[in-house]
Formats: sequence, C-alpha cells, structure tokens
Amino acid sequence: MKKETVALHVAFVAATMLLPLILTSYGLKLTSEVLIIAMFVMSLGLIIGFAGLVSLGHAAFFGIGAYTVALISEHVDNTWLLLIAAVVTAGIVAFLSGLMFIRSSGAYFLMITLAFGQMLYAIAYKMEGVTGGADGKAVSESFNLGFGAIESRLAFYYVAAAAFLACYYLLRVFLSSPLGKGVRGIKENESRMTALGYNTHLYKLTVYSLSGMMAGFAGALYAYFNQYISPDLLHWMFSGQALIMVIVGGVGTLLGPAIGAGFFVILQNYISSYTERWPIIMGLLFVCLVLYGRGGVIHLASLVWSHLQSKRRTGREKSVLPKEGSGFESLKG
Amino acid sequence: MSLLKVERVHKSYNGLQVLKNVSLDVQAGERHVLIGPNGAGKTTLFHCMTGTLPIDEGVVTVNGRQISGLPPYTAVRVGMARTFQKNNLFDNLTVEENLHLAIAACKPYRFHFFKPFYKYTDLLEEAEQLLKQWDLWERRACVVNQLSYGEQRLLELLLALASKPRLLLLDEPTSGMSPAETAQTTRLMQSMPRSITLLVIEHDMDVVFSIADRITVLHHGEVFLSGAPEEIRGDERVKEIYFGGGAPLYAEA
Ligand SMILES: Nc1ncnc2c1ncn2[C@@H]1O[C@H](COP(=O)(O)OP(=O)(O)O)[C@@H](O)[C@H]1O
Ligand SMILES: [Mg+2]
Repeated sequence: MKKETVALHVAFVAATMLLPLILTSYGLKLTSEVLIIAMFVMSLGLIIGFAGLVSLGHAAFFGIGAYTVALISEHVDNTWLLLIAAVVTAGIVAFLSGLMFIRSSGAYFLMITLAFGQMLYAIAYKMEGVTGGADGKAVSESFNLGFGAIESRLAFYYVAAAAFLACYYLLRVFLSSPLGKGVRGIKENESRMTALGYNTHLYKLTVYSLSGMMAGFAGALYAYFNQYISPDLLHWMFSGQALIMVIVGGVGTLLGPAIGAGFFVILQNYISSYTERWPIIMGLLFVCLVLYGRGGVIHLASLVWSHLQSKRRTGREKSVLPKEGSGFESLKG
Repeated sequence: MSLLKVERVHKSYNGLQVLKNVSLDVQAGERHVLIGPNGAGKTTLFHCMTGTLPIDEGVVTVNGRQISGLPPYTAVRVGMARTFQKNNLFDNLTVEENLHLAIAACKPYRFHFFKPFYKYTDLLEEAEQLLKQWDLWERRACVVNQLSYGEQRLLELLLALASKPRLLLLDEPTSGMSPAETAQTTRLMQSMPRSITLLVIEHDMDVVFSIADRITVLHHGEVFLSGAPEEIRGDERVKEIYFGGGAPLYAEA
C-alpha cells in the first residue's frame, strides 16, 4: 500500500475512535445506531454492488440475528455464544434460501427475496408464544464479552465501532481476494465467467451467505443496543430502507452504503423530531441526491475531492493511463 | 487420435431445429475450420459443445470424457476454451484485470478469500508474459472500453488462451478486423503450438486456407461436407451454397 493510503486508513480508524470526544451522550447513542445499521447496509451493499444481487428481503437476516439473541438470551447469557449463534443461524438460513434463489436474477430475485422476508415476518408476527408476536420482546441481558458488562453509552459505542471497523476491513480483504474478484467478475459478465470455468452459482451463494452472516451479526448487536426487538426488524420496509441507503450512499463501493446509512439514520432522527411527515421530506431529499449526486453521496464526495486535486496540480500533464486508486478513492473499497 | 468427438447432436430453439444430426471429429493437433453461410448453426454448435446451451440429443466427448449434460464451467476442466463471435469481455475492468480473472479460473486458489489477488505472483507473471507476447502490455492499464475494436478482439482470444487449453474453439476471430489485424491474428493462429488443437469458425477464405488442415461445411444445421482444403476448394456444391441458395454471401472461395 502507498504511504498516502496507509495514512488515510490510520486517520479513518483514529477518527472513529476519537469521535466520542466531541459527541454528547445522545450523539453517542445515535452514532452507535448508525454504526450498527451501517454494518447491515454494508452487507446489503456487498451483494448489490459487487455481486449484482438486488435483494428486497435482506432485513430477514438482520431480524434473524436480533431474534436469535432475544430468544436464546432467556436461557443463555454468554454474549460470545449468542453472537456466534446469531451469525451461524443467519448464515445457514442465507445459505439454504440462497440455494433456492440464487439461480434467479434481476426482478425475480428481488421478488423472491421480498416474499421470503415477508414470510419470516409473518412467522414472527403469528407465533406469539415464541416470538412475542407484534409486541416483540425485551432483551434484558447486558453485553459482556468477559471484560465486564457494557453498560455505558460510551462503552457500547466502542463495541459498535470495533465491530464496524472489523466488518469493513474483513470485507476489504475479501473483495481483494480471488473469491472476491471472482464475485466482481460475475457481476461484470456472468456468461464470460462461466466460459472461463468459474462455477458462478457457487460464488454467488458464498457471497450471499457471507452477507447474510454479516447482517445477522449487525442484528445481534442491535438487539443488545436497543434492548427490544419486534417483527418490524424483519419487515420489507426495513429492507427497502436499507436498499435506499445503499443507493444513496453509492452502489459498488464499500463505504458508500455505510455513509448512506449514516445519512438516513441521522436525517430521519432530526426531521422526525420536527414533523410527522418526515418520510415525504426524506423522499424528496433522496430524489435530489440521486439526481445530482449521480452514483450517491460517496461519488459526489469523490468528485469534489478529485476536483480539488486537479486544481492543486494544474499545469501538470494528465497521465495517459487511468489513475490508480489513490487518496479518497482507495477508501471507497 | 480424436480429441473432440461430436456425435449425432440435435438442437432446436423453441421448435426451430437449428442442428440436425451433427457429427464431427477433431483430431489432436489438428487445425479444423468450420465454414458455412450465416445462420447455418456454427455458433450454436459451439454453444452445444461447450455446454453453454444444453443439447436435445447426442453426445460430446473431449479426450474420451463425456461433457455434454455437464454444467458449462466443466468444459474448461477438460481443457476446452472458447471465444465468442461477439466480444464478451469485462468491459469495465482493465486489460490486466480481465486476464487475471481468466488465469485465476484454473488455479487451485481461485476460491481463496484471505489473501489479496496481487500477492499471487504466478498469476501476475503469467499475465505479464501473455500480454507482452501479444503486444498488449502497453495497454494493460486501459479499461476495455478504451481499446480499439481489434485490440478487444485480441483480448477475447487471450482470455481463452489464459486457461492453457488443449482444445481452443474460436468463433470468427477475425470478424470486423482491419486487414493488418487479420494478418496478425492469422499469424497468431499459425504460430500456436500443435499441443493446442484448433477448431475455428471463419468467413475470410484467405484465412481459412492459410490455417486449415481440414474443413467442415455446415449448411442448414447439417454437416454438408468434411474434407481436406483442396477437396473443399474444388467442390462445386460448396460454391453453390455460398453463391446460390438464397443464403447471404460474404466470401469467395
Ligand atoms: N438464442 C436464439 N434463439 C432462437 N434462435 C436462434 C438463437 N440463436 C440463433 N438462432 C437461430 O439459429 C440459427 C443458427 O444461428 P447461429 O448458430 O448463430 O448461426 P451461424 O453462427 O452459423 O451464423 C439461425 O437461424 C438463428 O436465427
Ligand atoms: Mg455465428
């Protein structure tokens, strides 16, 4: 990696770690939520932006993670075990459903994932005895990885931040590996990948399962964070919001969806405190963003960045070869 | 010894029969050229041989191993690679990235997920060698869209070569090329070692006769004639197929 890139990553991690210095207690809570939702949206951005699988049922895996923690924590209080159970359960469900869905693409994939998510929603809603039905369930266990219970907002912020950074860097490694490159190739041109000898269904199934696991992990953290879960976590509206966050943030980048999540959660928070009609205002804002930001917030930001860069080096000749990812670009993943 | 054996293959698209009882033998090391008017079913035959399309009836074997009925990615595992009549590349990736994907397809680590691509040095070296050998090294960092049509056509061929095939199927490799590019591609085919068997669909008769050991004529989905280049060149009925019969013309014998 280039020096400039390393510096950028150090700054990125440091900023995440130092953010609490300038945040109020409420700001800490809100940012923790943003980070958890960002992990979820990043997992959706992975399959949309890198594998070309547009799902409208991704909340299913988030919900499965959250419900796993809520339901099992009544019997088991080991946080490690609960997190692993959530990730594994979400992964298995993603794998099995992927086995059935992965052959369909485009609108069919969208519809079938939507139906699957709604089916899980209906189950959580109807099976009152187990899931608490429409009332949902309270989660009273505190988060404890063996270093003492995490009770304060500041402590939980660090849990969320560490989890987010871990997910982000894991995905970076994944995307630069042969498997990740293969997934990207399939999105670019599946028929050629098949002709080259790639078992494309297996690649898609793998990335779909991985994405489900990450969504499940985010859901599990959310259950601890919110101390309450309800079927809304499984509802297609939530999947749809995540989809909007991916698009607003920037399809085909890693951090874009995370930024989209931040935008959405914070805006929703502020606008909804002023007016009941927040969905309309949010909708209008997003339409403008997509119209003027083209590929989302992150592309808009990198446009501004490269504009500044090119101003800085006016006079210098432009390279004939396309630029290698540098500066801001490299964080996009 | 025959490397590729196609036996009594039938194929139809929603009721329209495109291949009728097609049988074809390609010997190891041979340069076999498939000709025939547009719509004769040549490309469809490639799709059927590689498993891109399922066949209705018949058997395809490579080196004695049946591959018909297996998923299309298995064709590469038995040493078969193909190009497409219409460029089928990774348009948004660079030349180098295109080639990396093609080479990695046959590596045991193609499914690894913890080590970055660029640390597999054998992959980078193979790509570099191929690119240098075929004059695309200078263009390695260009996105496919920035290449000329001829360069794209060449890349199409390199992607197939990357898997080190024993049997290479080329679907009109020179179509749309300038005379100079056509000559380069012809030289490329001529210079390939005999350890690579070639089956080529080609319209340019100069190219056909400068590479072919054997020619098969496909007409209305059937094998019309198969023989040595001299036999085909002198055959009146083949001329008839190209000039008469209502089929579009594009070449002279
Ligand atoms: N996907 C398809 N669906 C229906 N018909 C097709 C399809 N592809 C090709 N055909 C028809 O099959 C016949 C053979 O086509 P093709 O194999 O491309 O011929 P060639 O490569 O010899 O020009 C043509 O009549 C063509 O119209
Ligand atoms: Mg054709």
